Amino acid sequence: MAPSTSPAADLAPAPGGAPAPAPGPVATTPRARRDGDVVGLGRARAVAFVAPALVLVGVFLVFPAAWTLYLGLLDYSLTGSGAQAPVFVGLGNYTSALSDPAFAKSLYLTLLFVGGSAVLGQNVLGFSLAWYFRAAQRPVRATLSVLVLLAWILPGSVVAFLWQALLDRRNGTLNALIGTTDMAWALDHPMAVIIVFNIWRGTAFSMLLYTAALSTVPRSHLEVARMAGATRWQQLRDVVLPTVKRHILTNTLLITLWTFNDFSPYLLTGGGPNRESEVLPVYIYKEAIIGGHLGYGSAISLLLLLANLVIAVVYVRLLRTREPEAA
Amino acid sequence: MSTTTRQDTGVAPGGEQRARSGAVTHAKPPRSGMLLSLLAWVVGLLFALPVFWMVLTSFHSEADAATNPPSVFAPLSLEGYRTFFGSDPWPALLNSLTASVLSTVLVLVLAFPAAYALSIRPVRKWTDVMFFFLSTKMLPVVAGILPLYLFAQKAHLLDNIWWLILLYTTMNLPIAVWMLRSFLAEVSVEMLEAAEVDGASLSRTLREIVAPVVMPGIASAALICFIFSWNELLLARVLTSTVAATSPVYLTGFVTSQGLFLAKVCAASLVVSLPVLAAGFAAQDKLVQGLSMGAVK
Repeated sequence: MAPSTSPAADLAPAPGGAPAPAPGPVATTPRARRDGDVVGLGRARAVAFVAPALVLVGVFLVFPAAWTLYLGLLDYSLTGSGAQAPVFVGLGNYTSALSDPAFAKSLYLTLLFVGGSAVLGQNVLGFSLAWYFRAAQRPVRATLSVLVLLAWILPGSVVAFLWQALLDRRNGTLNALIGTTDMAWALDHPMAVIIVFNIWRGTAFSMLLYTAALSTVPRSHLEVARMAGATRWQQLRDVVLPTVKRHILTNTLLITLWTFNDFSPYLLTGGGPNRESEVLPVYIYKEAIIGGHLGYGSAISLLLLLANLVIAVVYVRLLRTREPEAA
Repeated sequence: MSTTTRQDTGVAPGGEQRARSGAVTHAKPPRSGMLLSLLAWVVGLLFALPVFWMVLTSFHSEADAATNPPSVFAPLSLEGYRTFFGSDPWPALLNSLTASVLSTVLVLVLAFPAAYALSIRPVRKWTDVMFFFLSTKMLPVVAGILPLYLFAQKAHLLDNIWWLILLYTTMNLPIAVWMLRSFLAEVSVEMLEAAEVDGASLSRTLREIVAPVVMPGIASAALICFIFSWNELLLARVLTSTVAATSPVYLTGFVTSQGLFLAKVCAASLVVSLPVLAAGFAAQDKLVQGLSMGAVK
């Protein structure tokens, strides 16, 4: 901890710390990296390096979220009586949100959306593609990943237009392709549409991450398993999955959070018809920005934030319990 | 499904050397392998279908674009592009370029020192700092948007491109710090120690030891930040109107007013997509590496 600049300080813990089956300085490097001041950067300079980024994130990312907490306690609207003088209503917004059937429905739809499109859809499809790529030839793999990546990389505004055109009742390409006439997909099956849409949109990330993850599986382990007569499925279950467990957890966390906060269903269905596809971010947007109920919208934002936090904590717990295995 | 013992002999000779490139099962069982390939291609083409449609339609005349099913072999035309550029999209395109490039530069300038300090010399407590950065990735944009709007309103920053630049910088900082840190972790400690013993200055150490290792990381972080800022719609939509509107905002307006003219809108969409497509494919591999490393390590 002392602001020592001597490399000797880094070597010091080694003899006591590790009863050293492996001689040599190699064993000490990870510790040195973690504890010591390797290059003599100095504490002051190190703090100065981190501070600007930290301040910016604090002021423009964390502080607004905290402000949301405060706004959620007010009866504050863009129009009407709440506009001039916001009144402190305590937990009023929260109790009315929690007793509002529209909120409950929105929460249910969000869970359906996240579970169907991210946890199941993107995860499974992304893993399957990555798994297929292992055995595929290089050009095939490269071409296919580019095709899948297209959907991920395009601007949301472009993507929304493409899907609207695709699903259009009269001139939609989908109706023409599968021979259905006059099928208003976004109206008749709004949830199915946004779930399929999000699978299409987001699978690339899981695919890329799992492709990288699967390349870390030691070939020798698979070889041994195959010699022992393990089927493909057994290799997958007993060798591959345990190795990439952490990747699966991390990936699932990230796509869960992204999907949870995803606003793009609004661009496809507008939350409708009749709130049938109104996931939480859309609900907030409609309440706060369109409806002008800032206090109420903020309260729900905070509930969304809490949901995110719960997911993250569960994930960190799961990850912690794996750590001894991995290290 | 059916792996046969036959493969053991098939793989053994070549397998060891081509450690990275390849698959364990080269001798695929013919039928299920074909089926799998077919399935994978169908999935891939389904993913790209809307994009192919966009490209094709953008080069058709309005009349040909309106037919359904799409007339694939209709004569090509630049009519859509002409109308789109005739509608004066330049301010919006320029706004997007300004916001994306400047915010990306700012992100790198701020994230690199932070990531350097955090990975080369983390005081033990600084793991918490890293988790602080990570945790901000979980904040939903929608949740913070109201205060950002209210503040901008009070400070007369609505419809101001600098406000967007600042917010995009902040939005991308955490992910950039995480990505850069994971690349910096690859820098050899021995080399750094040697440099210190030789009395190399900080700037020289950075230039000669750190930079070569981290360059790919910086490149991929830059590309990802650029793509995220260029594509961002929600903040831009709420915080800008006419002067500072970015191209995604312009495009949504264009779709609303011209939505029936498919060729025009497809041309517009393609133009708005080009920068991110270029950025994405310029460094596809780095993109993969950057994102997955930032996410996993």
